[in-house]
Amino acid sequence: MPEQLHPARGPGRILVAVYGVLALAATGRSILQIAEYFSRAPLAYLLSALAALIYVVATVGMVRGDRASTRVALLACTVELVGVLVVGALSYAVPDAFPDKTVWSHFGSGYGYVPLVLPVLGIWWLNRVRSATRHPSAPRTSTRG
Amino acid sequence: MLTPLTQGLVAAAMLLCVVALAYALFDKLINDWLLGLAALVELGVLVQLVRGLVGIGDLDTGERKATFAAYLVTLPFVLALTLWGAIKDKTRWAMSAVAVGAFAVAVMTLRLQQIWDIHA
Repeated sequence: MPEQLHPARGPGRILVAVYGVLALAATGRSILQIAEYFSRAPLAYLLSALAALIYVVATVGMVRGDRASTRVALLACTVELVGVLVVGALSYAVPDAFPDKTVWSHFGSGYGYVPLVLPVLGIWWLNRVRSATRHPSAPRTSTRG
Repeated sequence: MLTPLTQGLVAAAMLLCVVALAYALFDKLINDWLLGLAALVELGVLVQLVRGLVGIGDLDTGERKATFAAYLVTLPFVLALTLWGAIKDKTRWAMSAVAVGAFAVAVMTLRLQQIWDIHA
């Protein structure tokens, strides 16, 4: 089923929807933080901006869905997972550096821990898409192995 | 903000979320009933947009105005985009995306009311 190999089809539709909403929410919050009170916590707000950027990249990568875009989306999900783990741990260890909520602080508790669960699902799904594309069960017209 | 509008909108959006999830679960195709409910939610979101933009001057700081406006303007697109996907691609997955969109509408509407209540 070629449709099922596309990262934005099938279960991927849900991922794209969640990533899209998070991308919007994180971008909005990030622009505001940097524009209005950047000096309060530059590190946290820069990480916030990075998170927003990664959500946008992951969303766009999945929607585009060619091999290169899927790889980029997979990379984005991996960075996202590392980010939410590191920032989540840091926000407990060094609370002074995170005076204001960001998407990733406290392992994404402000967003119902969605930022923690989402990259795991994203990595699982994108890997499935990639391996299905690499080892098609039926002969396919594509010459790319 | 108008509290009855928020309550009605959140209730309708949550209903849409549950119905869309049920449709996805039982692999039911999108139909007029669900589209009607979604249209109702979208209408509520648009009324909220207009009402919010009219009242935005009452908010106390620039940052709150910006957050408020960002949510207000973003919200109509969330549901519309997921619905568009479900109409084009009639699968349970696209229907689940509608549920996600409806849930986002409910959460962001509550957040709007929160910003409004605390700071207006």
